[in-house]
Amino acid sequence: MEYFRDMKAGQFKEGARAALPIVLGFIPVGIAFGVLARQSGLTSLEAGAMSLFVYAGASQFIAVDMLAAGAAALPIILTIFLVNLRHFLMGSTISSHFKQNALPKTAVIAFELTDESFAVAMSGTSKIDGRPGFLFGLQATAQLAWITGTMIGALFGPLVNGASYGLPFALPALFICLLVLQLKNRVHIAVMILAGGLSVAFKYLLPGNWNLVLAAVVASTAGIWLTREGTHAELPTEGAGPG
Amino acid sequence: MRAHILWLTVGMAAVTFLPRFIPLALFTRWALPEGIKRALHFMPTAIMAAIVFPILLSTQKGHLAFEPRLLLSALLVFAVAWRTKNLWASVVLGMLVYWLLGFAFA
Repeated sequence: MEYFRDMKAGQFKEGARAALPIVLGFIPVGIAFGVLARQSGLTSLEAGAMSLFVYAGASQFIAVDMLAAGAAALPIILTIFLVNLRHFLMGSTISSHFKQNALPKTAVIAFELTDESFAVAMSGTSKIDGRPGFLFGLQATAQLAWITGTMIGALFGPLVNGASYGLPFALPALFICLLVLQLKNRVHIAVMILAGGLSVAFKYLLPGNWNLVLAAVVASTAGIWLTREGTHAELPTEGAGPG
Repeated sequence: MRAHILWLTVGMAAVTFLPRFIPLALFTRWALPEGIKRALHFMPTAIMAAIVFPILLSTQKGHLAFEPRLLLSALLVFAVAWRTKNLWASVVLGMLVYWLLGFAFA
C-alpha cells in the first residue's frame, strides 16, 4: 500500500508521541462508550466495529443514546450528519497543509480526522507541513486508543464504574487543553470568548451542531476583522503560506 | 453482527467520512482563495471554543447554568495547561481534581 510505502518512520513515531494526551483522554472516554453501547443493546463486536469504521466520539455517543431510546437507523444517521458539519470547516482549514497528496492518502487522513487530532496538528503546523507521516502516526495512535477503550468498556463494562475516578471529566479536560494550545495572542483570546459565548447562546435555538458551526464562522471572521483594526503584524502567516 | 446494526454502522461511517474527506480532497487540489485561507486562520480557536463552552455552561429557561465541580476543574485545567503547555499532565491533574471535588460536592 502506498500509505505504508512513503511513510517516514521518524515522522510516524513523532506523531505517535504527540498523541499521548489524546490517548489519556480516549481510553477512559472509549471505556464509557463501550459501557453505554452494551447498555443500549449492542454486542461487544458491534461496539468495536463502530469505533473502527465510524470513529467519531460525539456521533457514537449520540447513536447509542438514540438506539437505547428505540430510534431507527435513518434518524440516527441524519442527526449524525448534522453533528459532523463542523468537519467541513476543519477539513478546509487543514487542507492547505496537505498539497498534492494522492487520493488514497488523503482518504486515510480524512477518515481519522477528529476534533482532537485537528487541534494538535493545528497547534504546531510546522510539524505537519509536507509531513503526512506525523499526522498518520498521531491519528493511528489516537484511533487505536479509542478502539482499545471501547473494547475494555464493552467487555468489562459491569466491572467499571463509569462515574468514578474522574472518568467523566477526561473528555472536557482534553478539549480544554486543545483549546489552550490554539491561544497564541490576544486576538485568539477574543475569538475564544466570542465563539464560546455564541455557541452557548445558539445551542438551544438551533438543531444538531449548527450552534457550533455558526459560532465558529462568526467568531473567526471577527478575529480577522479585529486583526485588521489592530496591528497588521499580529496576523501570523502560518496557515496562509504554500502548504 | 446483526444486519440492521451493520447498515447503521455503514450509514454513520458514510456521513462521518464524507464531511471529513470532501474538503480535503477538493482543497488539496484546488487551492482556496487567499481571502478564505486568511479567514480560516482563527478557525481552530473558534471551533475548539465553540465545542468546550457548551460542555461547561448551559442555558436553561434563559438563565446561565453550570455545575461548580465541573467549572472549577475546568478553570484549573485551563490555568495549568496555559502555564505548563503540558497536555497529558493537565488532563491527568484535571481528572484527579474532578474526582476529589466529587467528595466535596457530594
